[in-house]
Amino acid sequence: MVGEFQMKKYIYNSFFAAVILFAAACKPDIDTAVGTSAGQANFSKYIAVGNSLTSGFADGGLYLEGQKVAYPNLVAAQMATVGGGSFTSPFFTDAQANGSGYLNLSALVNGTPTLTNVTSNLAYRDAAGHLAKYTGEVQNLGIPGMRVDLAFAAPFGAANPYLERLLTDAQVGTVSYFQFIQGRNHTFFSLWLGNNDALGYATNGGVTTDATNVLTDKSTFALLYSNLVNSLTAGGQKGVVATIPDVTAIPYFNTVTIAALLNAAKAINPAAAAIYIQTGTGAVRAATADDLIRLPFQSSGLFGVPNASGLPYGLHPLNPIANNWVLDKDEIVKVKDYVLSYNSTIKSLADSKGLAIADTYTYLNQVKTGIVLQGVGINSGFITGGAFSLDGVHLTPRGNAVIANVFIDAINGKYGSNIPTVDITQYRGVKFPDK
Amino acid sequence: MRKILLSVLLSAPLWVLGQGFQVNLQGQKQIGMAGAGSALALDEASVFYNPGAVSFLEKNSISAGVNPLLFKSAFQRTGSNVTEDVKNKIAPPFEFYAVWGPKSNRWKLGLGVYTPFGGLVDWGDNWSGKYALTSLNLKAIYVQPTLSVKITDQIGIGAGFVYNHGDVNLQRALPVNYPDGRSGKVTLDGTGKGYGWNAGIYIKTLSNVTFAIVHKSKVVTKLDGGSAQFDVPESLRTSFPAGNTFNAELPLPATTSLGIGIPLSKSTLLAFDASWVQWHIYQDLSFDYATNTSALADTKSARNYRDGSSFKLGINHQASDKLALRAGVGYAFSPVQDGYVTPEAPDADRYILSAGAGYAFTSKFEVNASFFFEDVKSRKQRNIETGLDGTFKTLVYAPGISLTYKW
Repeated sequence: MVGEFQMKKYIYNSFFAAVILFAAACKPDIDTAVGTSAGQANFSKYIAVGNSLTSGFADGGLYLEGQKVAYPNLVAAQMATVGGGSFTSPFFTDAQANGSGYLNLSALVNGTPTLTNVTSNLAYRDAAGHLAKYTGEVQNLGIPGMRVDLAFAAPFGAANPYLERLLTDAQVGTVSYFQFIQGRNHTFFSLWLGNNDALGYATNGGVTTDATNVLTDKSTFALLYSNLVNSLTAGGQKGVVATIPDVTAIPYFNTVTIAALLNAAKAINPAAAAIYIQTGTGAVRAATADDLIRLPFQSSGLFGVPNASGLPYGLHPLNPIANNWVLDKDEIVKVKDYVLSYNSTIKSLADSKGLAIADTYTYLNQVKTGIVLQGVGINSGFITGGAFSLDGVHLTPRGNAVIANVFIDAINGKYGSNIPTVDITQYRGVKFPDK
Repeated sequence: MRKILLSVLLSAPLWVLGQGFQVNLQGQKQIGMAGAGSALALDEASVFYNPGAVSFLEKNSISAGVNPLLFKSAFQRTGSNVTEDVKNKIAPPFEFYAVWGPKSNRWKLGLGVYTPFGGLVDWGDNWSGKYALTSLNLKAIYVQPTLSVKITDQIGIGAGFVYNHGDVNLQRALPVNYPDGRSGKVTLDGTGKGYGWNAGIYIKTLSNVTFAIVHKSKVVTKLDGGSAQFDVPESLRTSFPAGNTFNAELPLPATTSLGIGIPLSKSTLLAFDASWVQWHIYQDLSFDYATNTSALADTKSARNYRDGSSFKLGINHQASDKLALRAGVGYAFSPVQDGYVTPEAPDADRYILSAGAGYAFTSKFEVNASFFFEDVKSRKQRNIETGLDGTFKTLVYAPGISLTYKW
């Protein structure tokens, strides 16, 4: 009887000990091949060629936080699991972390945003707007403002502070971006360039005043882009090129709508019937929903202000919204046509070289209508959309993470690699004031 | 000048009940038999398994048990090589039963207090699905007074009234960021109540093979005035007002079971249960907030559950006068269709394995223990509503023990 009792006790004790051990040991397991293979590609030295988007420019400026989450940096970190090497970027120092300065959302009252400039801890080395020089290896070669045509213009190295800071004194004005990116012994590259060849024109309201807002000729674009691709693949390197987004897919052109302006006008003067604009041809007419107004117009302080004759700005045919604020519907047709041509060049060159294509044109058109990823709704709404930063053109950290995955998916799809994708939930959208 | 409408920063809050939330732990002996036993008049747990069998119990009894449950779920985002695990948290499903009736009469009264539905998952505040869910703690406690009558020596019927007390606490991150970059958060917390019934027939044939038909009704649990707390940057406070409340409905499904009990020998009983869980009542989930704003609308989310089912086979072997040994196997089909799987209930079809033992120290005092294991199949899903895309895999471990006093 006693023996039996002790035996039972032993059985019970063993039973519970086994249960505890079993439960602790038996974690569910999910097998995956992700992160094990570079496929046919070699990621040991990746360089990223491009413009502001590649550099991590955000909120109207280039600053350290944005640089760290630039899509090439996120892609490079993911490549590390499949043989990717280190990836160097021209980071601003912590003491000059705010770089060029940037826009901050300082207040949001009843849905009306107030944007202010961050002016502390900047990286300017003189009053002429030159930035602190960066010396050393650079693999993130993104230069804000870079264009396909200007990539071949050596004087641009003196005019563009972001390129100037990476050049030695002897190179400034004598070395073009095209020359600057060469000789880097890369094994893999990304190329997302050409946006500004169309966007520069669009964000100036379809008005060309200098080399940064000219619409690059289609055949010139094709020739120069092929020079870039040929150079980057000269050693047989593999890479990924990206298409150019539709300029109307960004909040910069979709926030200050004609309807919103008219409503604001009617709130003050119920008789207001139309918004008047000056088009690219110089003609003045009532605006329609097909005409787009640039984002900075909302803080320009121009709208509704009477001129010397007492006519309110934008609300009278004799005092219309000036051409440079408006991308009118004819200009939109023109710029869309150029973007389509550029993209057809990019895709056919990529195909002929066997390169991966990150089709950001198609992807950002989907974002424009709204997508949901990992429980996060993302769209091209200004401030609330989550993907675009406070300048309405460039990406938030979350937007960079999403675009990084477009690149990774394209690379994996083309080369049979399985670079892990980025967890977009670890990256923020716009920062909202906590007051 | 221009107002920014904070359009739908929130995808709809989620609330999903799956097979994963049906807790099949209501009686230590039956748990050891994979949850089969509606056609057995084994003990006072028949109050839950089959009120019709209660009148066939020989003794009056009272018992209490607990089955600490470890729900170990893992998630791997599609395209990632990182597996994320839920935190180790132990849910405490419990059961209390009492059965009493005059020895000479053909009727018995019963009372059951048990937890047929519940869930405890905590994925942590910063996992890749945090905008769908960070944690859920759900408890449904059923209280069931029961009357059972032996109509003939072969047939017993019984029925009980069910009162449900439900507790829910659901948390998830919101994709709005503070100046320091961290995310906002919403916590929905509420209690509710619902009513239903549980009725069954127990038939003992002359060959001693037993049959059961049991129906447990649906229990629609209403949560009124639960608190909806939004932790967001102050500049968004007007969109997510403080002190907000919500109403919601939690439909707990009806279950119809058919059972067979077969005496293999004088000391060995085989039990088989087939259950049909009528989850189709869960077509959508609606949240009605007391205060709505342009960013916070009432939500109605499609769930589109189909009915689930389970098949369980158990054996009870009386090894000696005092010692009983039990084992069981089962299989359950998930009610959650592709596209609707969520981190609250990462549901899929599952295997059930169990073992148990009972020891009668005296004729009046008995201890029963069990171990219950579920292997929920790996399931790769992209949720239609949240876009959460990845593979879930879950294992459930529940050891349990109960004490019984009989007279």
